[in-house]
Amino acid sequence: MKREEILAGIEKAVVGGKRVDAVKLSNEAIASGIKALDAIDLGMIKGMNIVGDKYAAHEYFLPQVLLAADAMYGALDVLLPHIPKDQLGKRINVAIGVVEGDVHDIGKNIVKTMLTAAGYAVNDLGRDVAPEKFIASAREHNGGVVAMSTLMTPTLEGMKMVMDGLIESGLRMKCKCIIGGAPTSQEYADDIGADFHAINAQEAVVKLKAAL
Amino acid sequence: MAEQMNHIQRAVASLQDQPVDRLTTYPLAMGVCRRCVGDGTMKYSDWVSDPKKFASAFIAGQKAFDFDFAIGLMDLSVMAGDLGAHVRMDDQNTPFVDDPLIKNPEDYEKLHVPDVRKGRSHVLLEGTRQFVDALKNDVITAGFVEGPLLALTQTAGAEKVFMDMVNNRSAVHHALDVMTAFDVDLVKGFAEAKPAGLVWDYLWGNYSCLGDAQYDEFEGQHKYAGKLNKLTADMGMAFCIHNCADLPHLDTQVKKFAPAIYSMAYYPLIPGSPAPKEVIGKGYADKCLIGGEIDPQLFVRGTPEKMQQTTMKLVQEVKTALCARGLHSKYCIASGCEVPPSVTTKLENIATCVETVKQYGQVDCAK
Repeated sequence: MKREEILAGIEKAVVGGKRVDAVKLSNEAIASGIKALDAIDLGMIKGMNIVGDKYAAHEYFLPQVLLAADAMYGALDVLLPHIPKDQLGKRINVAIGVVEGDVHDIGKNIVKTMLTAAGYAVNDLGRDVAPEKFIASAREHNGGVVAMSTLMTPTLEGMKMVMDGLIESGLRMKCKCIIGGAPTSQEYADDIGADFHAINAQEAVVKLKAAL
Repeated sequence: MAEQMNHIQRAVASLQDQPVDRLTTYPLAMGVCRRCVGDGTMKYSDWVSDPKKFASAFIAGQKAFDFDFAIGLMDLSVMAGDLGAHVRMDDQNTPFVDDPLIKNPEDYEKLHVPDVRKGRSHVLLEGTRQFVDALKNDVITAGFVEGPLLALTQTAGAEKVFMDMVNNRSAVHHALDVMTAFDVDLVKGFAEAKPAGLVWDYLWGNYSCLGDAQYDEFEGQHKYAGKLNKLTADMGMAFCIHNCADLPHLDTQVKKFAPAIYSMAYYPLIPGSPAPKEVIGKGYADKCLIGGEIDPQLFVRGTPEKMQQTTMKLVQEVKTALCARGLHSKYCIASGCEVPPSVTTKLENIATCVETVKQYGQVDCAK
């Protein structure tokens, strides 16, 4: 297959949520000498941007977005190991997770997908994440973004604990901190000293891009 | 101001859009009312595990706050837990599934309807019976139950179900048949408790998650929600809906399903989220009593002064919209979703909301 066909095929596989095709074409890209970063930027990210636009326009809904994300991660699994380490290091690290005591992660996973598509190096800490893990990730990456999510009121306090921990460890000024989830608000972000609140994944990407 | 109608008179009149002495009000205070029982230290995990304790919160809450309704929401993990998913029970947090039951498509086939006389289904049904018995002469009572799609996503994990809607469609439909059958048994159990109504949580009917076609296929069609809505009415209970998601499918859930009450939330920062005056102005209150839409977080983080201001603002917005629409009373001043059952929720804010509606909730369109 020609370069353009492969890249268009990766884009189409992501838009269509076809993980098998995304993986197959990503392997073909590498085999045919296409740079991994080109396959990501010109195929995968292009596809995810289309998915993001369709989701915002209410043409795509969660099933399509989740399948597209699955295809994207399948492609990334193939492509990421082929990116030179010095180029990988240029991406801003985002430590993302659902705070301690909560396991509702569908919103967090959508944000993770959109941030990955936007070119961030996303370190998914998972769910029920203790404050120390957010802080440890910020320390390991000398700052970056700390992104916290929760769906429940009793677990909001975990976000404040992370913010306090970042201050105590001297990392706060090196980080941009963003929160999201049903009980959160910009007011709460202000109260705990976080930089931003995002109502959805698209807004998270927009706010972080503007700030970084 | 002295009340001229009792709670039941007011609620019934509102359901029929008759003139009322004031708007109805019900901040959705369920689990939080466990703090009104005894010394206020009842653990959440105890509240959701014992029918008598469950009922006691509604009884104590009614005494403390003088609501116009009593709706028996426990939490959204009752069905999933009884199906076999692992439910985490913290002392002071809403129970939640921390280990979904479905790991592979074949697991959907293994789902079976549990006995609703056991497990937390029993706690919910028996607890509902007890608070209905205690309060039925005072307020309109209702049970609360998860719709089949919500119950399935709680059991299986939402991401998995949404992806399997495309990749393993028939397996999801089989599982929804099981959820619906489980819901049928619950409806019959609730009917024995004799509440005036039954509130269905149809959370996934929202445009942030599903389009019309997929929602119709996986919940809205006759064999799922349609069947359950009809059964609810056939068993003598008013069929009601709670949906606190953003961008709800109002045309489907209000106009097509035709509930007696529709409880909803408002998200001012989300484009397209309908404000109360829009909901009324677009005719949805013509069809049913709408409930909402105070931000539940205000009960936790706000002051009583802020709660009064917010409630007054909502009351004024609703009164203006009702009068413009030629309606009298088809709006219940409520929270958009459950008042957080957290130990940090300020009980005085619940009282302030109710008292503000009592003081300012009179509707006089001539003025």
